[in-house]
Amino acid sequence: MPARTRVTLPKGMHASVSNLDGEAEAAIQRTKLEAPAEGEGPKPSKGRANGAEDVAGYKLPEMAVAAAAVAPDLSGLCDIGEASFGPAPAPAEATAEIVHGVDDRVRINSTGSYPWRVHASLLITARDGSRWIGTGWFIGPHTLMTAGHVVFIHSPAMPARHGWVRSIQVMPGRNGNQLPYGSVTSSNFRSVVGWTNNGNENYDYGAIILPTNLGNQTGWFGFGVFSDRDLLASVGNISGYPGDKPAGTQWYAARRIASVGPRKVYYDIDTAGGQSGSAVYRIMSGGRYGVAIHAYGGAVNNSGTRITLPVFNNMLNWKK
Amino acid sequence: MASPQASVYVISGVVRTARGRPVADARVYVTRSPVPLPDIAALTNEQGTFAFAVPAAGSYTLACSVEGQATLEVTVTVPTDKGRRVAVEFRLAD
Repeated sequence: MPARTRVTLPKGMHASVSNLDGEAEAAIQRTKLEAPAEGEGPKPSKGRANGAEDVAGYKLPEMAVAAAAVAPDLSGLCDIGEASFGPAPAPAEATAEIVHGVDDRVRINSTGSYPWRVHASLLITARDGSRWIGTGWFIGPHTLMTAGHVVFIHSPAMPARHGWVRSIQVMPGRNGNQLPYGSVTSSNFRSVVGWTNNGNENYDYGAIILPTNLGNQTGWFGFGVFSDRDLLASVGNISGYPGDKPAGTQWYAARRIASVGPRKVYYDIDTAGGQSGSAVYRIMSGGRYGVAIHAYGGAVNNSGTRITLPVFNNMLNWKK
Repeated sequence: MASPQASVYVISGVVRTARGRPVADARVYVTRSPVPLPDIAALTNEQGTFAFAVPAAGSYTLACSVEGQATLEVTVTVPTDKGRRVAVEFRLAD
């Protein structure tokens, strides 16, 4: 068993918040790599040697292998995503697209099996009654990770909608009309101050706490904090529930991680509206480990909130 | 270093059949935008309506997917002023 070190709960922008009052937090002792669990049933595939899932008909697009260069010191520089924000409109040619070039996503039909059943189709009901679709993934028996904007809609222009969502119906391993693990509805959510108070995309992550331990059946992904070098040498995998495909179907794609910032990970993995909250994960020795939470579609690359140490610590606390 | 993505503009709309009836549970999402956007999709309500809050003026392409129908797309321009609200309509083929 690895040595356990005491972990300080994040404060400031990463201070964990809940829609439920009176939530108490305790100090936890964990390592930086949290292991996955495969749940019930037969042993799953360990994935391919190139870091992608072993999906029939899917071929990882050829990419030039990047030299194992050490990332430059980015301290003091703005996150690349922040260059797109601000009062000045972006140049006309820098439009954001979420499906880039040829769409190489493949449909997953074996969604009742691990690892696919870890991913859940989400039906979100916001404060104002509007409904949305997103994706979540199990990190423990009763906890799914997702984007912050899935559990807390930051929308000052629409005050009736702004705030914690009312409820989320969670459907693990959904395949169209088939719900191999049924569905469970939650109104118990987590996010962080940096998202709920500031709407800052660098803190766009959150969690759904279920009233049942459904994750013991589906299994869950591990997650970890990785160096820039490790991430840049990794293949990112994403599977989720996009709105541009038949309702409730799960679609998968993978690519080598394109670039990283202090709090974000960028990749040219095709996604579409509805995949917010998906795991961006790597396969290591047959285990699946989240490295980011998919959140945004961008001009060249899509992006997710990187699992840094404060994010990792919040995730550990939320899965208790 | 905080750079809040304040959503100050609204794109709203409706999805209707060819005969003008509202379509519920249509999936509406943004496929092109002047800035990165959350990768979430709206479901239309019983009146067939939806509304997105977006953080910047500029050109947006919205798509609408309904089972058994070809996906529709419409591109709109969100102005920097003048009420900051843009309305769109998707009209299905049948």
